[in-house]
Amino acid sequence: MMGQTMLPSAAGLLLATPLLLAPAVLVFALLLGTKPAAAVRACITIAVAMLGLNLIVWLMWSNLSEAAGAIAARTGFVRDVMDLGWPSAAAMAFGSTVGLFVIPAAIGINLVLLRLELTRTLNIDIWNFWHFAFVGALVAAATENLAMGLAAMVLAILFCLLMADWTARRMQSFYGVDGVSVPHLASVQIYPIAVGVNWLIDRIPGLRAVHLQPEDLSQRLGFLADPMVLGFGIGITLSTFAYLDLADPLASLHKIALCGVIFAAAMLILPKMAQLLMEGLSPISTAAQGFAEKWTGGREINVGLDSAILIGHPSIMITSALLVPISILLSLILPGNRVVLFADLTVIPFVIAMAAPVVQGNIFRLVVIGVAMMVPGFYIAGHLSSAFTTMALEAGFTKPAEATQITSIVDGFIWPSFAFTEIATSLGWVGIVMAFIVLGAGLFWSRHRHGFKA
Amino acid sequence: MMGKKKVLVVCGTGIATSTLVALAIKTEMAARGIEVETSQCKVSEVEAHCADADLIVSTTQVPAKLDKPVIVTLAFLTGIGKAGLLTKIEALLREV
Repeated sequence: MMGQTMLPSAAGLLLATPLLLAPAVLVFALLLGTKPAAAVRACITIAVAMLGLNLIVWLMWSNLSEAAGAIAARTGFVRDVMDLGWPSAAAMAFGSTVGLFVIPAAIGINLVLLRLELTRTLNIDIWNFWHFAFVGALVAAATENLAMGLAAMVLAILFCLLMADWTARRMQSFYGVDGVSVPHLASVQIYPIAVGVNWLIDRIPGLRAVHLQPEDLSQRLGFLADPMVLGFGIGITLSTFAYLDLADPLASLHKIALCGVIFAAAMLILPKMAQLLMEGLSPISTAAQGFAEKWTGGREINVGLDSAILIGHPSIMITSALLVPISILLSLILPGNRVVLFADLTVIPFVIAMAAPVVQGNIFRLVVIGVAMMVPGFYIAGHLSSAFTTMALEAGFTKPAEATQITSIVDGFIWPSFAFTEIATSLGWVGIVMAFIVLGAGLFWSRHRHGFKA
Repeated sequence: MMGKKKVLVVCGTGIATSTLVALAIKTEMAARGIEVETSQCKVSEVEAHCADADLIVSTTQVPAKLDKPVIVTLAFLTGIGKAGLLTKIEALLREV
């Protein structure tokens, strides 16, 4: 495990940056036949991205904590879990000890299952392997047991392949993407919720007739999807409640404006750093494409891709724009909620995308499904926040002085994160073995159902 | 010698899949002697960003009607049909 090496910087900020992923990627890239110069560049890119992510996580974490603390002291309105967003979660997951194993494990398990014809998905979406590492690192943090974390990581890999196979046909016909499936944890998790809620709405007279299609609604909700504007708005609002002081208006207005800029900057820079991390992983992604071409020769398989390819559908764009204010409202009114939503307000399209095929793009039903996922999500996030925070620190991220706990919608709000952690903490190895049996049975059932053709 | 061509690469995040596509287009077009400058954006921002683009390549459906050539493709991600697509992009960029 990476220790907390302290590097004093000019600003006096003590930085510890998770760097182990960088040399690991250098080795994988060279093994997969990347030219040494490109592999070294990828390695440096990852190290730089990790440093950038650590800085920006610290900036968000400290400022959100301070503002939430000031609001709590003033009004008694306590929110002590900060949403630092999926790029932070991805960096923590890849930067964890479990994260070092995730790339060879996910590729290896996938190839074995393809050989055994237990899956028809070849997952080449290397970037989103971070979700598997996240589940593993979270379980490792919650149980203080690395082996259990690695087992949970394997469970997450199996779960996503199973879900990708299960959802493939409907997803392909709705989105018009042949030969593709989506083994993306944050996206597949909504599918069972969508099936359940859809079944329920079909049985409620009145509601079942409500049908909003994309063209019924204005598409002018897009400004909410602009992360910088959204960040500025949230920053100004939070800091007004936290710092506005009528006795000293000028100083407090300065502080409020500064907070607006800090939060806008965080929203804008955070994904840019994730992009850098992604660029560093690209030699491995390119090599994975080579596998895809080889394995599709005469064989009926689906290529597993990122749900980013689905987001452009109008029903998803509009539903997400509606769910942003609804989610903020929920964060304010839900009793016992501890979460301040922030960085992951921009990823709502990902958590609902796989629901659209179930409801044929009906926006009313998509919003209801989104709410049905978000409401328990707040409590899941609160419940998992202490393990999430431990995971961040174990990966080497810098904890600010006034730190609260942390989460992210992706994957801190989703039921699989909760389920795998609960299984491991409450039932231990017995639970893990049971989960393997259930997922294994699911894969056999799925093979039978889809009638694999070699 | 042609001037630099501008390709706008679009996906759901403007980060995830579009980074892979942008890198692939840049490298492959450079190998064919076309200098390409790429930028990336989210599909919700495509109208605001497409003004000076010569070509738009997207990994997800582009809802807006744009007066630029648009290619929606997964070939850069799956690797399947990539060679044919590169030829098509090369031809388009030589035309504009």
